[in-house]
Amino acid sequence: MAQAQAHNIAQAKEGDKVISTIAMIVTLVSFGMLFLTLMMGFAIYRFTAPVWPPAGMEKPSLLLPTISTLVIVLSSIIYMSFEKNVVKGMADKRGLTWTLILGVAFMVSQFLFWNQLKSHGIFVSSGIFASIIYAFTWIHAAHIVAGLGLLVWLYSALKTADSMTAVKVANVGKFWHFLGIVWIIMFVTIFVL
Amino acid sequence: MAFFEQEIHDAPTTFLSKYVFSFDHKVIAKQFLWYGIAFLGIGGMMALLIRWTLAFPGEPFPVIGPMLFPHTGGVVPPDTYAMLFTLHGTIMIFFAITPILIGAFGNYCIPLLIGARDMVFPTLNMLSFWLAFVSAVLLLASLFTPLGGAAGGWTSYPTLSTLIGSAGVGQTLWCLSLFVLGVSSTMGAVNYIATIITLRAPGMGYFDMPLTIWGLWLTAILNAIFLPVLGAGLLLLTFDRVFGTTFFLAGAAATSGSGDPVLFQHVFWIFGHPEVYILILPAWGIVSDLLSFFARKPAFGAKATALAMTSITILSTLVYGHHMYSTQMSPLLTQSFMMLTMTISIPSAVFFANWLGTLWKGAIRFQTPMLFSLGVVFVFGLGGLTGLYLATVSTDLYLHDTYFVVGHFHYTMAASVLLGGFAATYFWFPKMFGRMMNETLGKWHFWISMIGLNGIFMGMMIIGHAGMHRRIYNPFVYEFLQNLIPLNMFITISALTMGAAQLFFVYNFVYSMFKGPIATQNPWEVGTLEWTIPSPAPHYNFKEVPVVKCGPHEFGNPNLSGKDFQYQTEELVRA
Ligand code: HEM
Ligand SMILES: [Cu+2]
Repeated sequence: MAQAQAHNIAQAKEGDKVISTIAMIVTLVSFGMLFLTLMMGFAIYRFTAPVWPPAGMEKPSLLLPTISTLVIVLSSIIYMSFEKNVVKGMADKRGLTWTLILGVAFMVSQFLFWNQLKSHGIFVSSGIFASIIYAFTWIHAAHIVAGLGLLVWLYSALKTADSMTAVKVANVGKFWHFLGIVWIIMFVTIFVL
Repeated sequence: MAFFEQEIHDAPTTFLSKYVFSFDHKVIAKQFLWYGIAFLGIGGMMALLIRWTLAFPGEPFPVIGPMLFPHTGGVVPPDTYAMLFTLHGTIMIFFAITPILIGAFGNYCIPLLIGARDMVFPTLNMLSFWLAFVSAVLLLASLFTPLGGAAGGWTSYPTLSTLIGSAGVGQTLWCLSLFVLGVSSTMGAVNYIATIITLRAPGMGYFDMPLTIWGLWLTAILNAIFLPVLGAGLLLLTFDRVFGTTFFLAGAAATSGSGDPVLFQHVFWIFGHPEVYILILPAWGIVSDLLSFFARKPAFGAKATALAMTSITILSTLVYGHHMYSTQMSPLLTQSFMMLTMTISIPSAVFFANWLGTLWKGAIRFQTPMLFSLGVVFVFGLGGLTGLYLATVSTDLYLHDTYFVVGHFHYTMAASVLLGGFAATYFWFPKMFGRMMNETLGKWHFWISMIGLNGIFMGMMIIGHAGMHRRIYNPFVYEFLQNLIPLNMFITISALTMGAAQLFFVYNFVYSMFKGPIATQNPWEVGTLEWTIPSPAPHYNFKEVPVVKCGPHEFGNPNLSGKDFQYQTEELVRA
């Protein structure tokens, strides 16, 4: 009896792993479609406009967006090493903390960037190019906030470490890396090109 | 398959945990059912108001008209008319049909038909219902804003839906409401997909799943992929309205670079065409099962049906452009979209032929769920055929935005999905409430609905072919349409008939819930898993998780003795 129960529990754990992974993948497909739609819209504006940026707008300086990019890439790299440690069974939370700090730093750089735009008189209603910059970064930032929430939640999940912990860390990681990739795509297409 | 066995939770004891914030998929299913039926009533009343205006222009709506529109003596005012068709469409699609087919029967059927004790994420399930509730509150609140609810059509095309077209808060609330509903449905979709993949009873392969589950599963996949597309469009539209962005505003070009109203149409229909299949797939699945159950025959080509459904799902993502032939698309594109759209006819034909194959030489039992299923076969056939005229560029250019379109899409999604929903309600009612619905009342409901419904939608197609436009308050100001007034009266009388028929249903449903004869465990003599447990299903569904040994449609096997069907838990009888 006890043995059967132990078997059941082991099975349930196995099941939880599969389920949370499937759920995270489906969720990311959903979020992916949201951003894909935004990018499709951007592409249409971009390719149908005779000049880009349109109507005498100037591209914003690349400095702050580049910093944002470096920060978010670094956070992802650190998270990966944290993830490796968790898999190896090391209870080292420093990587998580650094990811969190860099995540907050990313948000700060975004606020600075929005402020900079405003001080140059570029508002969200100043034409399609400005609209795209603000709206897309807002939507992305809203997801970053959710991601930061997940990172904070991981601290409590790590307290009761069991076989599910690694799965949780991996799935939060998937979300965090996803946001990084979305940012890089936005950085390259909207700011650089 | 069955990655693990879910534990049996204690039964909830308090009123709140039992009926309000329940984690039990069966209770959540009922919540969605009430929600959907309530909105079916509201949306139906709106349809009657629209129809009355078209048949008797300038005359007050009887009885409730003077209460609703005192300042016009009970006549529907023109601006209200626009709001009515917008909200009728929105409510019927998102707040009536979706909750009934996907919310109620998705929740009810998935765990029961695959032999699970609940969804994999019960909390998410509960949240998804309450988010849908919030969304409904937002939508209804929009009716009480100073300028009234949204009035840009259920498609909400800019510039009708931007601040320039509709200044009120109503349209903004409409966007937010649908966004919230989208989040709720996406949460549901994650749950459905994960549950079906991981919690099928031991022994149940994908092709042992009832076709109902196939339909719901494919629907959930489409939801997860395409709702966020609408979400993105709604976000940008909301930004246009609230923050003064110009994504969908043309004509701002001179000063600040231009937006593009047609982009919204692309985004809308990339979502919107799959949405039509989101609505219809569960109904198709349910009907495919029910036809077999009540014809007492194995579903003809069940595997091919499942695969046809899958290919339609995939194709449905590629054809959205047929909604936009009249937007001056490049002919190259319209031709391609036409071709792709026509391609859908192939799996659809397979599918339809399989339905007929199932019925062929069956020992049909004409009980109410079967009547409604046959109704679906009939109306979907008509709807599908008339779709060909709209898929063809040259005919669509004439028919576009006439009542022909309205008749066509009501046949496909309103009529067939609605009838599918009724079939499901009559069929699973005994398992849900432990009592039987009245057959005679059910049959009255069916036949009167069928007469009314065909009168309405056939009539719509005729007046549309005669050139009557949709979304016009009083089309008869145009001389060439004046001789259509009698036909419009006929349609409206059919609509009133259809509305009256629903009273049979409501009475039957409420009465049977409390007073109907007690249902046995398996009143329809069907072998799928939910009929192996007591009616109503206990909160943990299955005491012992069942082991599946055969498919869901094992009927009329000559080697069976004593009964003509076998349970999925029984070893397949061979000679
Ligand atoms: C059976 C009773 C129904 C009647 C009598 C009815 C009647 C109507 C009428 C008169 C219109 C207005 C068309 C126009 O102004 O051009 C309309 C629009 C519409 N109906 Fe229904 N309808 C019914 C049920 C449904 C159901 C069940 C659905 C759900 C799928 C539905 C979905 C729609 C949609 C999407 C529109 C378009 C709204 C728009 O133009 O924005 N209807 N209906
Ligand atoms: Cu379509």
